[in-house]
Amino acid sequence: MKLTLKNVRLVRRTEITRQTSVLISVMGVVMAFAVAGVLFLLLGVNPIAAYGAMVDSFTNPILLANSIQRGTPLLFAALGLIVVFRLNFWNVGAEGQIVMGGIAATGIVTLHLVSGAIPDLLVLPSMFLAAFLLGALYALLPALLKAKLQVNEILSTLMLNYIAILFGNYLVFGPWLDPAAHGFPNSRIFPPEAVIPSIPFIGGSSGFIVGIVVSVVVYFIMNRTTFGFELRVTGDSSKASKYAGMSYTRIVSIAMIISGGLAGLGGLVLVSGIIGRMKEDFSSGYGYTAIIVAWLAGLNPLVAVVAAFLFGGLLVSGTTLQVRLGLSSSTTNIFEALILVFVLASEFLKKYRVIVGGVE
Amino acid sequence: MIVSVEEGTILLLAALGEVYAERSGILNLGVEGMMAVGALMAITTYLFTANYIIAILMAAICGFALSMVHAVVSIHLKSNQIVSGLAITILGLGLSGFLGRQILFKGFSIAGTPVQAMKSVAIPLLSSIPIVGPAFFNQNALVYFSYVLVAVLWFVLFRTRLGLNIRTVGENPAMADSLGVNVYAVRYLCTGIGGLLAGLSGALITLGYYPTWTEGMTLGRGWIAIGLVILATWSPFRALLGAYLFGAVTALPYTFQSLAIQGIPTDFLQMLPYALTLVVLTAISFRGLRKRLAPPASLGVPYSREE
Repeated sequence: MKLTLKNVRLVRRTEITRQTSVLISVMGVVMAFAVAGVLFLLLGVNPIAAYGAMVDSFTNPILLANSIQRGTPLLFAALGLIVVFRLNFWNVGAEGQIVMGGIAATGIVTLHLVSGAIPDLLVLPSMFLAAFLLGALYALLPALLKAKLQVNEILSTLMLNYIAILFGNYLVFGPWLDPAAHGFPNSRIFPPEAVIPSIPFIGGSSGFIVGIVVSVVVYFIMNRTTFGFELRVTGDSSKASKYAGMSYTRIVSIAMIISGGLAGLGGLVLVSGIIGRMKEDFSSGYGYTAIIVAWLAGLNPLVAVVAAFLFGGLLVSGTTLQVRLGLSSSTTNIFEALILVFVLASEFLKKYRVIVGGVE
Repeated sequence: MIVSVEEGTILLLAALGEVYAERSGILNLGVEGMMAVGALMAITTYLFTANYIIAILMAAICGFALSMVHAVVSIHLKSNQIVSGLAITILGLGLSGFLGRQILFKGFSIAGTPVQAMKSVAIPLLSSIPIVGPAFFNQNALVYFSYVLVAVLWFVLFRTRLGLNIRTVGENPAMADSLGVNVYAVRYLCTGIGGLLAGLSGALITLGYYPTWTEGMTLGRGWIAIGLVILATWSPFRALLGAYLFGAVTALPYTFQSLAIQGIPTDFLQMLPYALTLVVLTAISFRGLRKRLAPPASLGVPYSREE
C-alpha cells in the first residue's frame, strides 16, 4: 500500500475507553525515552547507563530523599496552577510567585535573627503565612488587570516574573546580605527553628506530606464546592457563567490568590527546606517546570502528587548524570521536553483516530 | 552605547521573528531554546568550516527546525501553545547543553574553545558621526542586516497582501479562511520566520560578541525578546527602538562603573524595561488604544475549521 498524505485520514473519536487512553499516554512516554536513547547512542553515550541514573533517583535511598525534596516546591506550585488553569487563566507567573514566597519567608527569618521579635515556635508558622500572603498578593495584580481591563495574563505574569527575580537579587546583594558570607549574594543561614523538618526514616522535606494534604484539599475545593463548580463553568464558557450571574472578577481573584499563595509556599519550601537560605535567582525555573507538571497531571490535583515526585526525580538524575557520566546536567531537560512533546501529541491521538488507507 | 547596540541587536533579531509569529496568532515561548541551539550550532559549524555564512545559515536552520516542532504541535495537533513553547525552550537548552559537551573539535569539547569573532566593518562617513557613528555604523554584517530586516519586515507586514493576510489570520482566522487564505500555511510560515531569526540571534551571540561557548550563555535573552515584542506592540519598527532601550539596560552591569550612578541599585534599573512593558501592556488595554495597539485577538488560540 502506498502511503501518501491523501490516504491518511483523521476521524474525530466520539468516545474513548480508559484503557486506550492510558495506553496512548504510556506509549508517548516510552517513545520519548526511545528517542532520547537513540540520541544518546548517536553521541556515544550508553543509554542503559543514562536510564540507570534515572531509575536510581527513585531506588537509591539518598537520591530518593532528594527527589522528594525537589518535588515539593513543584507540587505546591503545580497545585496552585491547576486551579487557575481549570479556569482557562494562563498564569505563567508561578516563578515570580515562588520568588515572592521565598522573599517573604526570608524576610521573617531575617527579622527574627536581627531583632529577635518572633518567638522560636512561631517562626515557621509566620513564614508559612507570610509566604502564602505575598505570593497571593503578587498573583492578584494580573488577575485584576485581566478582569478589569482584559490585560493578557500570559504576558503580564511573564513580566512580573522578572521583576520578582530582580527584586530578590536586590535583597540578597543589598539589605539582606549575610555579613558572614564574605560578599557572596546570600541571605543569612536559616536557624533550625526556621527549617522545615525532614520526613522521619525516608528523608526529604516533610513539606511533601503537607503538599499531599493540600492536593486533597484542592481536589475537594475543585470538585465538591460551589466555588469549584463556578470555576469549572467559567473555565468552560465565560458566557454561560456570566448569564448565570457569576462574577468573573471574584472567581479569578480567588483562584489567583490560591494559585499565587501555593506557589509562595513552594518558594518557602525552596529556601527553608532545600537551600537553607535565600540566594540570587534561587528558583531558577521551578515555576516553569511546575506548569509542565500541572499539565502532565491532566489538571488533576491527585495525579499532580505523582507527577511532581517524578519530575523531582528527573531533576535529581540531572545531577547524577553529571557526576557519573560527565554529561551536562541539562541533559534531563531533553527527557522532560521529549516527554512533553510526545504527551502533547498523544493528547491529539486521544481526540482523533488516524486511519491509513481505507475508503474515501 | 556600543554595547547597547550589540545587546540590542541580539534582542532585536529574536523579537522581529516573534513579532511575525504572534501576528499570525502563534505564541512561541520557545525563543530562548531556539536561541541557545542557534548559538551552539553557529560556533560549532564555524569551528568545522571556518565559514561565517555557513555557520550563520546552520544556526538559522536549527532555529527553524525547532520552531517547526512547535508549529506542528500547536497548529496541526492544536495543543496548548504555552506548554509546547516551554517544551521548546527546555528542549533547546537541554540539547545545546548536552551537545556542547558531547561534540568534540580536535579532541576538545566545544565548551571553552574560542573562535575568531566576526569583524566590524566601519561605514565611511556615517561611522565618523560622534557617539552615534561608532555605535551604529561600525558593526558586523549581521547588525547591518538587522537594519535592512526591520524595514523589509515592516513593509511586508503593513504594505503588502501577505502582511494583510498574516494580520487577519492573527486577528480572525475564521474570516481569513472564508476569504480563501490558507490559515495553516500562514501560521507555519510565521512560526518558521520566528525560528530562523531566533537562530540568527543566537549566532550573533557566539560569532559576534561572546566568541566562546559556555552552557546557558543565552542568559534569558529569549525571554527578554518576548517582553520586547509587547513593548513594541507587535511592530517591527517599534521593536527597533525598544531593542536599544532593552539593550542598554542589559548592558548596565557591564557599564555600571563608567556610568557611576550613585544610590540606585542596578537591579532596580534592570527592572525598568519589564515594568515599562507591563505599563504598556496595561495602557494598550484602555479603550482608545485597544483598537490600534492591542495584541492579536487570536494569539495562542488554535484554529480548526469544524468549530
